Amino acid sequence: MQTEATPVQADVSELDLVKRCQAGDTEAFDELVTRYRTRVFSMIYNMVHNEQDAWDLAQDSFLKAWKSIKRFRGRSSFYTWIYRIVMNVTIDWLRKKHVKGGGTEFDDAIQLRQVEPASKTVPKTEALPHEMMERDEIRARIERAIAQLSPEHRAVILMKELEDMQYHEIAEAVGCSIGTVMSRLFYARKKLQNLLRDVYENI
Amino acid sequence: MKTFEEKWTAWLDGQLSGRELAEFEASLPDKAAAEAEKTEATKLRKLLKSEIGVQTLNNAEFFSHQLRERIARESGGASRVSGVRRMESSTRWTVPRLLWTSAASIAVFLACTVLVMRDKSGSEESQYLTQILNARVDPVVSPNATVSIFEVKQDRVTVLWTEGLQTLPADYAAK
Repeated sequence: MQTEATPVQADVSELDLVKRCQAGDTEAFDELVTRYRTRVFSMIYNMVHNEQDAWDLAQDSFLKAWKSIKRFRGRSSFYTWIYRIVMNVTIDWLRKKHVKGGGTEFDDAIQLRQVEPASKTVPKTEALPHEMMERDEIRARIERAIAQLSPEHRAVILMKELEDMQYHEIAEAVGCSIGTVMSRLFYARKKLQNLLRDVYENI
Repeated sequence: MKTFEEKWTAWLDGQLSGRELAEFEASLPDKAAAEAEKTEATKLRKLLKSEIGVQTLNNAEFFSHQLRERIARESGGASRVSGVRRMESSTRWTVPRLLWTSAASIAVFLACTVLVMRDKSGSEESQYLTQILNARVDPVVSPNATVSIFEVKQDRVTVLWTEGLQTLPADYAAK
């Protein structure tokens, strides 16, 4: 699991930080935020495909985590626990947006969006203009395909394929059974395969 | 008992082993097609990983700063709310206390009313006028005598109007 923690920070155990947070130590919480902010933001971004919305939702998620940190019992990792909050916040938001927007988000009506190359970490090396354009096009195709999945399917496929989370961790994060996670993965993969076959076959 | 979807997912992810794996692979009607799909799933995974990996959080420090401010605001708000609640609970009156206060208020109101009324009547009639009014008019001497009083408050003047009075009372005449 990648975090932003430096070796010195990593010495401080997550559980210690959580205990300090539960005692009201905001600096300890700040350290947890520093460790997980990029992953949380990234996960949300891949769900909503909008930088500003992802920023706001990540803020809301961390704020909610701070408010309910006293209820964290340490039965799972802090990351799994905060992922559950992230998923609740994001899926709720997507559902509300879906209702408000008349359901366009999960359909094939989503418009091609220009993705800022600077907002991505990969690739680090300079690409030629036509390569960058091609890459942007592929990314837009993937985002459109993901946008057609339901929020729940989106969540499990991203957690599995991008975060390499285990079934039980995903189940805990989204609040369902392991069987449901596996079933959702089955259908999400099938749908993405249908939508992106020409992309991954031609790379 | 796992469903087909669950087993298929576990198989794609390499989570089946031993007897479970053998049983599942034996149950596949077309092993070659299944393997082809497994390859596709691997390609899809690679595509997703390479194209939509970790997104950079621009202005990460500002993100934390903004969050710190929000937490401080929310915490401050919470303590203010709880402070107000504490005040509300401490000043919440019990029923007996409320009754005593009401009774005391009514008593004070009545006392004030009596004082004001007494003061008012005193000011309306001076001692001089009271004497006049109380003076007895002899009905034998002045059978049709009438005494009227007019008060013009704005001029601070009181007019005593008498009719049919033959003589003034002796004690008034003396003054």
